[in-house]
Amino acid sequence: MEKSIKDRIAIIGTGVTKFGEIWEKDEEDLLVEAVHEACNEAHVDLRKDIEAIWVGTFYNFSGTSGNAASDPLKFYGKPVTRVENYCATGMEAVRNASYAVAAGMYDIVLACGVEKILDQGSRGLPGMEDIFPHPIIVAESMPALFALCANRAFKEWGWTKEDLARVAVKNHHHGAKHPKAHFRREITVDTALKAPIIASPLGLFDCCAMSDGAAAVILTRPDIAKSLVGEGNYATIKAMGEAVETALPFYRPDWTGLSLPANVKAAEAAYKEAGIQDPRKELDFGIVHDCFSITELLNYQDLKLCKPGEAADLISEGITAIEGEFPINPDGGLKCFGHPIGATGVRMIVELTRQVLGRAEGYQVKDAKAGFAHNLGGPFVVAFLTIVGTPEWEPG
Amino acid sequence: MVGILSYGAYIPMWRIDRSEIAKASGGASMGGERSVASWDEDSLTMAVEASLDCLSGIDPKGIDGIYFATVSSPFKEKQAASIIASALDLRKDAYTFDFTDSFRAGTSAIKAAFDAIKAGTAKKILVTIADSRRAMPKSEFEQVFGDGAAAFLIGEDEIIADIEGFSSISDAIPGPWKREEDSYPRVFEAKLDRMYGFLKDVPHAVTELMKKYSVEVKDISKFAIYGPDPRSYMDVARSLNMDAKTQLQDPLFASVGITGTPHCLLLLVAALETAKPNERVICASYGEGSDAFLVRTGEKIEQEKGKHRGTKYISSKRMLPSYGRFADFKKERETGWPEWSRSPVVKYWRDEKWELPLYGMRCNKCGTLQYPIGRCCMICGERDNYEEVKLATKGKIFTYTHDYLVGPGNLPGDGINATTRAVIDLDDGCRLFLEMADQEIKEVDIDMPVELTFRMWNQKSNYRYYAWRARPVRE
Repeated sequence: MEKSIKDRIAIIGTGVTKFGEIWEKDEEDLLVEAVHEACNEAHVDLRKDIEAIWVGTFYNFSGTSGNAASDPLKFYGKPVTRVENYCATGMEAVRNASYAVAAGMYDIVLACGVEKILDQGSRGLPGMEDIFPHPIIVAESMPALFALCANRAFKEWGWTKEDLARVAVKNHHHGAKHPKAHFRREITVDTALKAPIIASPLGLFDCCAMSDGAAAVILTRPDIAKSLVGEGNYATIKAMGEAVETALPFYRPDWTGLSLPANVKAAEAAYKEAGIQDPRKELDFGIVHDCFSITELLNYQDLKLCKPGEAADLISEGITAIEGEFPINPDGGLKCFGHPIGATGVRMIVELTRQVLGRAEGYQVKDAKAGFAHNLGGPFVVAFLTIVGTPEWEPG
Repeated sequence: MVGILSYGAYIPMWRIDRSEIAKASGGASMGGERSVASWDEDSLTMAVEASLDCLSGIDPKGIDGIYFATVSSPFKEKQAASIIASALDLRKDAYTFDFTDSFRAGTSAIKAAFDAIKAGTAKKILVTIADSRRAMPKSEFEQVFGDGAAAFLIGEDEIIADIEGFSSISDAIPGPWKREEDSYPRVFEAKLDRMYGFLKDVPHAVTELMKKYSVEVKDISKFAIYGPDPRSYMDVARSLNMDAKTQLQDPLFASVGITGTPHCLLLLVAALETAKPNERVICASYGEGSDAFLVRTGEKIEQEKGKHRGTKYISSKRMLPSYGRFADFKKERETGWPEWSRSPVVKYWRDEKWELPLYGMRCNKCGTLQYPIGRCCMICGERDNYEEVKLATKGKIFTYTHDYLVGPGNLPGDGINATTRAVIDLDDGCRLFLEMADQEIKEVDIDMPVELTFRMWNQKSNYRYYAWRARPVRE
C-alpha cells in the first residue's frame, strides 16, 4: 500500500480564540473556548464523542503532560498526549492525531494547541537564555537566528530592509480584515523602517509579536465526516511533510543562511505525498511561518514558489498579496496573529480549512480549493508542510 | 644557565580618560588614561591572553609547570592556574600553582620557577602574572590602577636573557590590604607606606642585588620597578641615583596605570622589547618587602622582536565613553540586571576538551572538521570515529547580528545594549557560533577578520564559566 495520508483525514470542526495580549484570560479559558467552538462546528460532544486528544504546548507553564488538555477541558478517562516540537508544536499535534485516525485506532479525535506567553512578562520569548542546558553553548534570541540569515541574504541577493518591510506591510494589510488577529491595522514601509532594532537588521515590524491564543480542530475519517457534517462542510488533508534538522545549524560548515534545509525536505515530502509538481500552479494559496519578515521570503524559495533570490520580487510585484496570483498569509500570518507557540500550527490548519470551505469572511481567497500551511520551529530545526483541500481537489 | 625563553603581555582593549573618572568621582584628573578590563575579563582571562602572546610559536606540551601570580584571583577558594593550564592546552601533569596575596607574588613566582629549573625538577615553567583590581569608587585608586598581564617562559638553553640572580627583603608593613570580607583594598596612610616601605625596601633589595652580583647603577640599562603611584617613581630613581630619563623604564602611568602584581614584570617585557644583546635589566617588585632580580640579555633577544605583541597592546585601544561604562565593567553600578540562572556545572567538567583548550573533531570517514565534539559526525553520522583536533584561533565572520533580546553569556538582554553574535569560519575550516567581545557595532561585517579571546562566559549557578569569544583582530 502506498503510504499516504491523502484524503484519509477529514477536518470537521475548527475553533480559534482571539489572539493577542489577553491578560484577563488564562490557558484554561483559551483552550475551552477554542475546543468548544470546534466541537460545536463538528456537531460532536467533547466528552462523549472525542476518543483521544493531542495537545500542543511548547512551554511547561502553558501545560505539561496530558493534563495540559485534560484539566482545562475536564476530559478524563481517555488518552491525552501532550506534544512539543518547538514552534511547530501545533502542527505536530495535528499530525499525530491524524495518523492515529489513519491507523484505524480512533474515529474522532481532537488536536489542539495553546500558549499563554504574556503571563511570563518577558520581552522576547521567555527562557531563550536557558534554551540549551549546556552552560557555554551560545543561546540567541529568535530574531537573532533569522537576522543571521538576513545578513547573508542581503549580501548574496542584495535584498534590503525595504524588501523585508514590504512583507510586514502585506501581512498587516491582510490581518486588518481578520477579526481574530492580534494586530488589525495597516502599516507603511516607512513605519516599519523607523521602528527600533530587535536583532539587526530586523526591526520591530520584522518580528511577530508575543501573543496568547488557542486553536483546535476535530479530525475524523471522510466517511464519518459525511454523516456528521455533510458534504461541503469538511476539508481533507492532502499531505503532511515534516523534517527535523540540528539545533546548532551555525556550527555546520555547509550552512548557508540562504535556505533552511528542514523547509526544503518537508516541502518535498508533502508535495510528493499530495502528487504536486508545481505548487504555485496547482495550489491556490499558502500560509507560511512568517515569524520574521526574512523567514517569509526564505520560505517562498524553500517551498518552491520561486527560485533562490526571487522571493523579494514576489512581494514587490504583489504576487503573494491576497488579490495576487498566489496569496500568502491571507489571514495576516504570525505578523498579525503573533505566535502563541502551541496554538500557531493548529490555527494554520483552521485557516486552511476555512479558506477551502469558503468561510474566511473578509479575508477569503477567491476560488480557494487547496492550499498549504507551513510551520517552522527552533533554530530552523523542525519544518512542517500540511496541504488541505476540498475532498474533491486533485493535483494537476 | 637559567633564564627567560620567551615573554608576552596583555593589556585589555579598553581605556578611560582619567578626566572622566575625575568628572564623576570628584578631585582632579591625574592626566592620561588607564586600561580597563572588559566586563568579561579578569586576572585569569588576562593571564591566558598574556600566556598566548608569550607562547606564540612554542609547543605548550613541552611546558612542565605554570605559575599564576595575582592579588585579584576570581576565586577565593579554587585554583586559577589549573583553568589557565587547560585553556593553554598544557599537559595534565604540568605543575599548577597560584601565587597570591602580595604584589611580590609575580617576582616570587619567577624565583620559584628559576629555583625549580635550577634544581632540575622542571625544564620549562610558564609564569603568568595578571591583575584586574577593583578600586573603591571616589578613591584615588580609581585613577591610579590599570589592568594588565605579563608572562614569561623560564627555562634553560635557547634563553633570550639570563637571570643572574635574586635578592629579597620582607617587611611586615601594614598596607595596602584586603581582608576576607573586603571588596576593595584599604590603606592606612599612603605616605607611610611610600616612605617607610616602598622607598626603603625597593632600594634595599636592588642595592643588595647589585652588591651580590658586583654591578653598579651605571651598568644597568633599565630598571623595571613597581611603584604605587607616579610620584614614587621619581623618588625611587633619586634614591637609587639612577638617571631617571634613560634608566628608569617608563612606568606606563599615562597609558595603562599601575597594574599591581604584573606591573614590574610588564615593565620588564617593555625593557626586553627594546633591549640589545648583553644589556642588564633589574626588575623589582614591592609588597610587604621587595624582590629584585637581575637579567642579562643574550644574542637571541633580537630574534624575539616582532614575535610578540607585548606592549603593542597599549596602542591597540578603544576609549570608554563615560565613567558609567567603566563602573559597569568593574561591577560598581547596580543595574538591576537579572540574576544568572542555573546550569549544571557537571556538563562543563565533562566537556572540558572542547570548552577550554578548544578542540574540535575531525570525522575519520567524511573528514569534516566540526564543533562541538559529539559522538556522531554532524555531516555523515559516523559514530565514535573521529580525531580530536586543536582548532585555529583566527578566522572571519560568515554572518552576524546585534541581538537586543538575549544578552551576553545567555543573560536576558536589556533591550538597550546589543550582544553581537557571529558565525565564524576559522582558518582551519571549522565553524563556530560565538559572541563577540571588544567590538563596535558599526565595524562588524561579513568577512571581517576576527581572533578568539578567552573570557569569562557567564556565572550561571554561581559558578564562573570560562570560554572563548571572538574579537576584532588587535593591531
